[in-house]
Amino acid sequence: MIKTPEALLEQFCQAASRVGARTVRCLSAKAAVDYIVRHAGGTIILPDFPAARQLNLAELLRTQGAEVICGDLFQAATTAAAGITGANFGLADTGTVVIESTAQAIRLASTLPERHFVLLNPHKILPDHMAAVPILRRLHSRQSPDFIAFITGPSRTADIERVLTIGAHGPRELHILLLDGLSDDFLET
Amino acid sequence: MSRRARQYRHLIDQALSDVRRQDALHRFGDAYLAARAEAFADLDFESLRHDIAVMKDTVRDDWPHQLEKFMQQAAATGAKVFLAPDAQAANTYITDLAQRHDARLAVKSKSMAGEEIALNHALEGIGIRVVETDLGEWIVQLAGQRPSHMVMPAIHMFRDQVAELFGKLTGEHEAEDIAHLVELARQTLRKEFLHADLGISGANLAVVEDGSLALVTNEGNARLVATIPPVHVVLVGIDKLVPCLEDAVKVLQVLPRNATAQAASSYVTWLRGPSPGRDQQPRELHIVLLDNGRSKLASSKESRDAWRCLRCGACANVCPVYQTIGGHVFGHVYVGAIGIVLTAFLHGLDDAAELIQACIGCRACVNVCPAHIDLEHIILGLRRRLAETEGVGLIKDLLFKRVLRNRRLFHGLLRTASRMQKPLTGSTSSVRHLPLFFSSLTEWRTLPAIAPRPLRDLLAEQPLVAEPRLRVALFGGCAAEFVLPDIGLALARVFRHFNIELVYPEDQSCCGIPALYSGDAATATELARQSVLALTKTQADAVVTVCPTCTTALTKHFPELLAEDPALADCAAGLAAITRDAAVLLAEQLADASPVGPANTAGTVTYHDSCHLRRGSDVYLQPRRLLATAGWQLTEMAHPDRCCGFGGSYSVLGQPTIARAIAKDKLADILATSAEVVAADCPGCLIMLRGLLEKSNAPTRVAHSVQLLADTLPDK
Ligand code: SF4
Repeated sequence: MIKTPEALLEQFCQAASRVGARTVRCLSAKAAVDYIVRHAGGTIILPDFPAARQLNLAELLRTQGAEVICGDLFQAATTAAAGITGANFGLADTGTVVIESTAQAIRLASTLPERHFVLLNPHKILPDHMAAVPILRRLHSRQSPDFIAFITGPSRTADIERVLTIGAHGPRELHILLLDGLSDDFLET
Repeated sequence: MSRRARQYRHLIDQALSDVRRQDALHRFGDAYLAARAEAFADLDFESLRHDIAVMKDTVRDDWPHQLEKFMQQAAATGAKVFLAPDAQAANTYITDLAQRHDARLAVKSKSMAGEEIALNHALEGIGIRVVETDLGEWIVQLAGQRPSHMVMPAIHMFRDQVAELFGKLTGEHEAEDIAHLVELARQTLRKEFLHADLGISGANLAVVEDGSLALVTNEGNARLVATIPPVHVVLVGIDKLVPCLEDAVKVLQVLPRNATAQAASSYVTWLRGPSPGRDQQPRELHIVLLDNGRSKLASSKESRDAWRCLRCGACANVCPVYQTIGGHVFGHVYVGAIGIVLTAFLHGLDDAAELIQACIGCRACVNVCPAHIDLEHIILGLRRRLAETEGVGLIKDLLFKRVLRNRRLFHGLLRTASRMQKPLTGSTSSVRHLPLFFSSLTEWRTLPAIAPRPLRDLLAEQPLVAEPRLRVALFGGCAAEFVLPDIGLALARVFRHFNIELVYPEDQSCCGIPALYSGDAATATELARQSVLALTKTQADAVVTVCPTCTTALTKHFPELLAEDPALADCAAGLAAITRDAAVLLAEQLADASPVGPANTAGTVTYHDSCHLRRGSDVYLQPRRLLATAGWQLTEMAHPDRCCGFGGSYSVLGQPTIARAIAKDKLADILATSAEVVAADCPGCLIMLRGLLEKSNAPTRVAHSVQLLADTLPDK
């Protein structure tokens, strides 16, 4: 059975919330920026990626009073409260976001801070991992080296007495911001 | 007993006294099964694992070619690729690399291959500090131990022990609070990541198609290992190769579900070539492909299926022996059932000897393995090889070669034993002390007496069926023949009622499994020959057994053992096709018979699934239906399909202390149902259960389901 885009999005949001990620429908770039500023809790690191450029995100965030660091993020990443990246697409069955992360700054922003905000075009949701294979293959053949991250919920561990604990080495919070009008190319974030 | 065996016994005793840990592992096993069932709710596990097995076999059978292609592809991405034939070569490559980069600190994300080659030891040997960054692995490292589970390395420890350990590190008192302990690890390890010169990880998959690697974690440590240090070494076994991305995704669909009951792990990282560092500075990626016995494994006829292993750890999770003694005793580097097989391969049969004997043969692991590995079968093969080199032990050797192969002598001996034990049995049918070889093991359950008259004598006195609609030969098996002949009599009664003739060929002997599973294949073959001849002569329409172990012998082992015997190979295959467990045969024959007794009037019963019947033959509905047909009211116990601890000769001659601990769990589950009767379809289980219940003075009756059916038949 082929699902409608709405049904896929709905499934994606449910699956993401099951694994502890938050999904937020944003009606405008402004709404997304407001949300980020409200929840960032401190310095934001913002690596370079297409959606950030398209929205002029750094500007917008700063206008709202946020402290934003761009460029060489390495030092800032270790103490920043939040990181923002785009996502190439999402997977409905597990609530996963797929992020092309070859540039180190993307990896730092999505790994070191306590909070990770992901911008995702809600029309780019695939049903499952198998459906992602052709795109993964294209991403792989486009360039090497490359580094593609499939992220499902925040960082977690159950290594002590099997008690689930959120925030092991990676972000404690994963916020997925669903925003129309972002690139509809699956190879692009 | 050898010194090594004595030491092992000592370790077992120590593990058995750790009640808190046993309890935790049991609860883990239960919680795991429930969560796993939910994780697979919408998927067809059987077909998924079939696909994975086929895919892994394709790579295995073509590994040199697949490996070469992967190495080319990976090299084209800019990675440095090295094939390490053994542990030493891998360690030397990595230590040389570390020295070239003048490395002082290495951060490591969990790698079982790293454990296998003792990489930390090698690096520390040249003065490099190695820090494990997976929380469980770090805990184990700080404690100076090795992982007791492949996925959850510190599952044997508790929060107070972790707090104490961390306290030693910080010099402060650390609260026994898990969130606090995780935070402490995060902060401490964060610093190590930032200063590390070398990152080392394993990989879950190596994709031949494009030279990519997939790393799966929940904590995110592998991402940091792959991101921050200027040099990243991936150590990966050549068994992790998969042909293409579709295959990789299939594995990723099953792996987290089977390992931790998650639909997806938090992070799956696809790595192709050395991703750039700060300011687009180039980093280095080294892929060390580890053979270390794997190519030998691929060509081992009996063990090669172990190549398929995904290292999900499930075979330990569900293993009653693992739950009882834990991974430090039941494992070497790799733990659980696969640990037995890999230890034998990587470290030699000698080092694996005790582990090989510790398997109880319950097949729980076979049921959950996502790569469809028949672990029990492989372990039996290893046991056979062990017997060839070490012998099966003096007592068993005598028993098997001299006694078991000679039916007259064997049966004569048992008849004598039956007479000799008379003064000991007193009024009950169980002895407190058993004659001959079963001695000194009776403190925790009674052992059965040998019946005054064997089944063959009793059956000879049974009335004949005038015009039978079916002729069925009974393969009795030792337990039903000499210890519990009432089961056979009950079957005769049921058959008479339904107009089926029961034939009992005189020359049949022991099914040979005690010898086979102890490693004495020659005796097993001789016994198979004797019984196949005897059964074939009857020209019966079907063969029935009241013991699922015997069924396994007839349907599986006899054809295998006699495959090369020109005279008997066909006979054995023919018999295998018409052999049924009593419950299955009755279910087939009585499919449209009306209920024997009115529903729920016979009494309350709880049913124990014997391992060989439930997992060996996938039979569990038929006996339950049979009981209902006979008017019994069924109350299910918790874990009806968990092993009772009998495991053939295991509980008597193998590892009686482990068997005892496993049996204790079963007893509790039975008593909790308050059923009047506990039924099972296996004489071995019945002996075990009866012994347990008698010793604990419980009034619960123990019976074969055929007996319960016979009980409700109208008198004739
Ligand atoms: S043998 Fe099977 S169950 Fe055991 S770890 Fe390997 S894949 Fe998992």
